Amino acid sequence: MKKLRINSGEWLFGLSGRVTFLISAILIFFVCFVDKFHGGKAWIPSYTQHILVTCLLSALLALGLNFISGYLGQTSLGHAAFYGIGAYTTAVLLTYTGLNFWLSIFVGMLMSMLLAIPLAAASLRVKGQFLVVITYAFCEIFRYIAINVPVLGGTGGMAGLKAPEVFGVRITKLAATNKGGYMILLFLLVSAAAFFSWRVQRSRVGYAFAAIREDEIAAEAMGINVKYYKTLAMVISAAICSIAGSIQAAFATMVSPELFSSTKSIQIFSMVVIGGRMSIKGMILGGSLMTILPEVFHSVKDMAGLSFDPWNILYGLLLVVMMRVRPQGIWGRKEKDEG
Amino acid sequence: MFVFLQQIINGLAQGGIYSLIAIGWTTVFGIVGVINWTHGEVYMLGAYVGYFVTTFLHLPLIPALLVSMLAGMVIAVLVDEVGYRPLRKRGVLAATGFITALGLSTILRYSASAAFTVNPRAYPELIEQELLTLFKVGDSAITISSLHLIILIGTFVIMVALELFMKRTLTGKAMLAASQDMQTLGLMGVNAELLIKITFAISGALGAAAGFFIGLLYAIDPIMGALAGLKGWSGAILVGIAESLTAGFISTGYKDAIGFAIMIFILLIKPSGLMGYKFEEKV
Repeated sequence: MKKLRINSGEWLFGLSGRVTFLISAILIFFVCFVDKFHGGKAWIPSYTQHILVTCLLSALLALGLNFISGYLGQTSLGHAAFYGIGAYTTAVLLTYTGLNFWLSIFVGMLMSMLLAIPLAAASLRVKGQFLVVITYAFCEIFRYIAINVPVLGGTGGMAGLKAPEVFGVRITKLAATNKGGYMILLFLLVSAAAFFSWRVQRSRVGYAFAAIREDEIAAEAMGINVKYYKTLAMVISAAICSIAGSIQAAFATMVSPELFSSTKSIQIFSMVVIGGRMSIKGMILGGSLMTILPEVFHSVKDMAGLSFDPWNILYGLLLVVMMRVRPQGIWGRKEKDEG
Repeated sequence: MFVFLQQIINGLAQGGIYSLIAIGWTTVFGIVGVINWTHGEVYMLGAYVGYFVTTFLHLPLIPALLVSMLAGMVIAVLVDEVGYRPLRKRGVLAATGFITALGLSTILRYSASAAFTVNPRAYPELIEQELLTLFKVGDSAITISSLHLIILIGTFVIMVALELFMKRTLTGKAMLAASQDMQTLGLMGVNAELLIKITFAISGALGAAAGFFIGLLYAIDPIMGALAGLKGWSGAILVGIAESLTAGFISTGYKDAIGFAIMIFILLIKPSGLMGYKFEEKV
């Protein structure tokens, strides 16, 4: 019998999910509040905190795409579209209607979920490499819309978004630096998304995803509603990416058409690939790696006085070598039983 | 009506270039079964080779085109040798080939930006550019630029040569057979590896030629391969004309968006392309 792959041992060092959550929560709170309780120079520079926030955002995006590229095994190069839709919805609502930021996240999610349905319909008709091209084009169309619609601010995007409030306190004032609040918020969201993915993995829905990934025709024959589950995966993944977009908009206090760029989509996809498809800790690792490495090489560039950024070349190399040496990603399972 | 006709003629050259890219792309896809994401980069490098030989060696139009096509062949074959062959040997090309292609194209694109800087460059004037009148009705004339005409002729010649190669030579017939069933062809005693190399060489030559033609029309830069490859995917001539019409009637900004919308539409209703061969889906 062909055994379906459901990852166990999801969390670090064999700890249970709860312990991992507690340890990382303590770490995050330490990072956020340590500079409040001692005088003098900050221990954790603002730059590091910025990178941490970006890591968490990337992890959230990777967890979102994992539903399509991991559990369903389909490649999407269009998930920056949902990221951008979330960000733009938040920006438009905050600028023109003055709606509450937290509500705008839900509106953004709703928008993304609605727009994910046509893409899901496309994924029912074609798959594999054709779907790659379709998702890519899907995302590019939104980029051109963002550039060309005057209300959305054109190439420059929209700037000057107000920071959201938590019980009347600005999120930027929550912790020691203005980034601490976002860090806590994102940490909670990433944990929630990870928990959600973990629960889905071992539920009826997760088994259905696994069956469709392994053999779509056989799954259909067993009575699994392939259409329903494919659409469901696309909608869930769009919603998660859209949340990341909304928070990115607030964090950067601006949105620009660059959010929709194919580079971003490819980046999200490579987070999933490098971290290891279907592995939750792999998503978090992949997201962090793809955020930290560019920064490292950026400083290498500044130090060595290079006229170009070595990261992009190395990034391509990383993908090629990864596919040669460990195609399943760092924490992915080896696909044994596929001929 | 005249504006409409004029826009279609303006779009023809662009459409021809897109279809050159598309043919190069689909030959590899049909035979090797991988979306060759590096094709856009071969196109970009072809344009750069054309730029260097025309600017520094002062080669005239046709030799420069041939040199850049040759360079495209070499690059495409190298890409296959370095990137795809090891995966093909292990039989995992379908699952990992696409990501490898993505990585290779990133390497090529950013190495090119490091080597050539990101500043756009323009070809020297190889032929005199003038507007030729096609026909006149009353006061209004339908014109075509001599540059567009040269490109159209060049595209046409290349396509006819390719068609003859495919239909008349044994190698070409073997390639057509390979797009049907590579395995059976191997059993018939065809050297599959050589066939794949030839496929990549042809695809590279076509991509580089497209890059060279684009260089005649517009300035070139290292990022140009990113979009161009994809747009050629299906209904190439249609996309070129539709883009020109959009630019003429709606707005230049939406030109690419319309191109992509048409692409999605075609992929959904007829994934093999408007006039393409039917390929089995190879996931």
